[in-house]
Amino acid sequence: MDRSLYIAMNGAKQTLLAQSANANNLANTQTTGFKSDFEQFRAMPAFGPGYPSRVYAMTERPGTDMSTGGLQTTGRELDIAINGDGWFAVQGKDGGEAYTRAGDLRITPEGLLENGAGLRFLGEAGQPIAIPPAQKVEIGRDGTISIIPQGSNATTLVVLDRIKLVNPGNGNLEKGNDGLMHLKQAGAAPPPADANVNVMQGMLEGSNVNAMSAMVEMIELARNFELQTKVMKNVDDNAGVTAKLMQMA
Amino acid sequence: MTERALWVAKTGLDAQQTRMAVIANNLANVNTTGFKKGRPLFEDLIYQNIRQVGSQTTQNTELPTGLQLGTGVRTVATEKLHTQGNIQQTENSLDIAISGRGYIQILMPNGDINYTRDGSLKLDSTGQIVTAGGLTLEPNITIPQDAISISIGRDGTVNVVQPGSPEATNVGQIQLADFINPAGLDPMGENLFRESVASGPPIVGTPGEEELGIVLQGSLETSNVNVVEELVNMIETQRAYEMNSKAISTTDEMLSFVTQQL
Repeated sequence: MDRSLYIAMNGAKQTLLAQSANANNLANTQTTGFKSDFEQFRAMPAFGPGYPSRVYAMTERPGTDMSTGGLQTTGRELDIAINGDGWFAVQGKDGGEAYTRAGDLRITPEGLLENGAGLRFLGEAGQPIAIPPAQKVEIGRDGTISIIPQGSNATTLVVLDRIKLVNPGNGNLEKGNDGLMHLKQAGAAPPPADANVNVMQGMLEGSNVNAMSAMVEMIELARNFELQTKVMKNVDDNAGVTAKLMQMA
Repeated sequence: MTERALWVAKTGLDAQQTRMAVIANNLANVNTTGFKKGRPLFEDLIYQNIRQVGSQTTQNTELPTGLQLGTGVRTVATEKLHTQGNIQQTENSLDIAISGRGYIQILMPNGDINYTRDGSLKLDSTGQIVTAGGLTLEPNITIPQDAISISIGRDGTVNVVQPGSPEATNVGQIQLADFINPAGLDPMGENLFRESVASGPPIVGTPGEEELGIVLQGSLETSNVNVVEELVNMIETQRAYEMNSKAISTTDEMLSFVTQQL
């Protein structure tokens, strides 16, 4: 049978995969610190005897959009957002260091500082930050945490630790299966804290999904899918005509 | 047959629906004394590795980029924001507002102690100070029947003036309880919160001492819901919902196109 049917089918299948990557971006338009994924198609020529006659399409995720999401003021003392480039270092679910932009912090009953997704924030030494009972927690521009311990007055301000802020370069990071950013080079030493990264208290970074372009992308993928289907239909019609020609009169 | 895009968009609809419910609850409580607004926290679900980046395409070549597909979004938590509401003057001697940290302790009928920021207090038939819901304070304070006036100090001392005596008599002391992590308190409705593992145990003390806030007589703490903020959130939620439902209908159209054409 004609291979064009398979090529068109493959195109339609890959378009559906791209559609789900796009749907994931749309589903996360309200997720704090979410970074949207790109999806793109690649031509995969199939080499056979002679010259390449067929080119399959393959969808892939070439990377993640690292641009900053919109900032929202919340006024809550434990909400922090990074101003400009940089990442918060957190303890990933596998125990290693991972990076995120979601700074909706809370203090666990054990006194550890973690974000809304339950990821522990790391201090300068790369260890989880422990916060003793405090009546007020302030986070400075450079991530320094100072507290007024419980039972003291405002003159007793204790500097605790500093949130590890890093800037390993967005090109060196990639999104892992846990949705966090990891260093591309497996097993590389974690980047050192960067003093040039600064945070703002009382703010949160929203998702960086551009809803408009995601919608346009969705329409485009849908039309692309219809085109592939049309090709399949035409191949089917052609096969029908051929079969008819072959029929004995 | 499970179509990935349909289910991913469905998680988006679920999340927006939850967000809408939280916003609706905040807006419904815009005039509830001592109400603390809530907000949902979202998280992207795990990614599935369809094609591993770096895997060999031939013996000498490898895939420069793979395909990782996200599986949607989920609501991790709905947290209460215990920021201070506005203080409203009511001039009612039994209305109290807490300026600063701390919760009024309430004795529940089952003997548990619950906590509230709602200071619209009343007297019951026996002269006990009770909440608008009829629950007594802990420790219990009884006002003598012949009291002419009640005054509550900044430190929570309750004094009454009785006929025939120029001096005020101390009848009790309102104490406040504070928590290490107020966001971990378990909201029970009726303006009450319950201690949980996450909030830590209560630290009881006299208002104005240590970290505890002061008590203001003749005032009430309003809800901390900001109406404009909630309306903006509502618009955002609605649009996000529409976009996710559009993703569902588009995927559905794609599938229906296939079944009709082929």
